[in-house]
Amino acid sequence: MSSPSAALARPAATTGRPLVRLPKTRGFRAFVGLGVFFLVWQLLTTTGIVDGFMLPSPIAVAEALWQMAIDGSLWVHLGASLQRVAIGYLIACVVGIALGLLCGWWRTVSDYVRPVIEALRPIPPLAWIPITILWFGLGDAASYFLVFLGAVFPAFVATYTAVRSLDRNQMNAALCLGAKPSMLLFDVLIPASLPIVLPGLRIALGIGWMCVVTAELIAAQTGLGYLIQQSRTLFQINNVVAGMVTIGLVGLAMSAALEQVERRVNAWAPSERL
Amino acid sequence: MTMTKAAAAAPSGPSAQIEIGNVGKVYGTAGDGAVIALDGVSLTIARGEFVSLLGPSGCGKSTLLNILAGFQPATTGRILQDGHPITGPDPSRTVVFQDYALFGWMTVQKNVEFGLKAKGVGRAERAERARALIDTVRLTGFEDKYPHEISGGMKQRAAIARALAPDPDILLMDEPFGALDAQTRVLLQEEIARISSEAGKTVVFVTHGIEEAVFLADRVVVMSPRPGRIREEVLVPLPRPRTAEMRSDPWFVSTVSELWETLKPDWQKEEEVS
Ligand SMILES: Nc1ncnc2c1ncn2[C@@H]1O[C@H](COP(=O)(O)OP(=O)(O)OP(=O)(O)O)[C@@H](O)[C@H]1O
Ligand SMILES: [Mg+2]
Repeated sequence: MSSPSAALARPAATTGRPLVRLPKTRGFRAFVGLGVFFLVWQLLTTTGIVDGFMLPSPIAVAEALWQMAIDGSLWVHLGASLQRVAIGYLIACVVGIALGLLCGWWRTVSDYVRPVIEALRPIPPLAWIPITILWFGLGDAASYFLVFLGAVFPAFVATYTAVRSLDRNQMNAALCLGAKPSMLLFDVLIPASLPIVLPGLRIALGIGWMCVVTAELIAAQTGLGYLIQQSRTLFQINNVVAGMVTIGLVGLAMSAALEQVERRVNAWAPSERL
Repeated sequence: MTMTKAAAAAPSGPSAQIEIGNVGKVYGTAGDGAVIALDGVSLTIARGEFVSLLGPSGCGKSTLLNILAGFQPATTGRILQDGHPITGPDPSRTVVFQDYALFGWMTVQKNVEFGLKAKGVGRAERAERARALIDTVRLTGFEDKYPHEISGGMKQRAAIARALAPDPDILLMDEPFGALDAQTRVLLQEEIARISSEAGKTVVFVTHGIEEAVFLADRVVVMSPRPGRIREEVLVPLPRPRTAEMRSDPWFVSTVSELWETLKPDWQKEEEVS
């Protein structure tokens, strides 16, 4: 396992002097990737390959964003969306993790509950919208519910999988060393599960973020989804794309932040090495 | 208590630490696909004795060890530890597993401290006692490494230190060196010979290596499969602690080859089945 191959695997990078020395951090590469993306987009629109009426240039979008940032409307909508996703996601985590633990731990519970969950899971949040409006009307509650629906299943699946894949021998080792239930939970069960649970929760947040925008397109008076919808009716295509860009960048920031947490917490786990 | 044939050969009386009386284990429900893993196993193990359980794959060695550890109940018969029935895992009987079962999210130091923490030993004393044990298994300098950062042999040393930490009466080892290369195996056999005679623990050591079984044990208990039974017992007259030279002792060499001759049919049958 601890072979010298790790040291050998890296080819000697000192032979020959590269013209430009690029920093090798992940953050820098992400920055370059995004930069190139926006650059290509800008070129496509300025050269006229893509009609500016069909897709505004990044600069036009940035201007629209700046305007909305100055007049404050961007922050109002962003704040509304973030608050909705936070609440819906929290409820989804509590319910998803609790159900995952119950089903993972007790085979009988799983036999009863999992078919129900697996039958509800394929129904897309969009299909829930009519009944959501019927139940909750056009308020925040409808958004919470849709975010919950989007996030609860990945949270459940991750927790269930994590509990099912716990190493029996590790549990037995803890038991024969005299671990009481609290130690079994906090020193064994939880840390052993996190490498599977945390990526699941990150995916759940991403889906929740998509759902809140979907909900706001239809059932809200604020939020980034509402901003897009309203701008569309006013033919403000720049604002539409500005809303989309905000959604994308916020989603990117959220998953980057969670990935950072994962890398810290799960540094010991096989998938986090390299 | 009537003296059975099996018990007659074994030391018994006040020094008996483990009494296995006519233990049977059936996996699955009787009828459809039930496996008789153990059938009428009786064995008395004295305090401080080192017993090797030797036998081909599938003869129920792990099953017997797991029942001794309290991880699973016997279907029939009874097992007493110092006169009291074994009902579940207990830090007076700790286990060393073939796949180490170390806690990957804890350093070597924290792994060894686990059993002490479970006992309620204070932080400072815990650290000190763990360091002493890490020294015993010759891992000093690797306290702050995580299991994935050390070799298989070192992992097993750490697992042995962890199992010794709660100061158990009985050490149960299930093919602890099965996953190691030949050289590491021999080195660790000598370590275990040294540690077990220094610590004066009762040891039950499961293996299917004939040499290893004879080299380490005061008594080799040979099992045969389908159903799992005790076939014969061999008392090893060599003094302890065992040292490397004893491997060339004429008695050792002839006993190992005799055992090989008697076990060959069982081993061959196992090859054909699997
Ligand atoms: N949980 C289980 N459920 C059903 N059958 C089992 C279970 N565990 C073991 N068995 C069966 O019981 C028998 C004894 O298994 P056991 O693991 O005790 O053998 P072993 O001597 O330890 O073998 P090995 O040397 O391969 O580890 C085998 O036939 C095995 O298939
Ligand atoms: Mg086994």
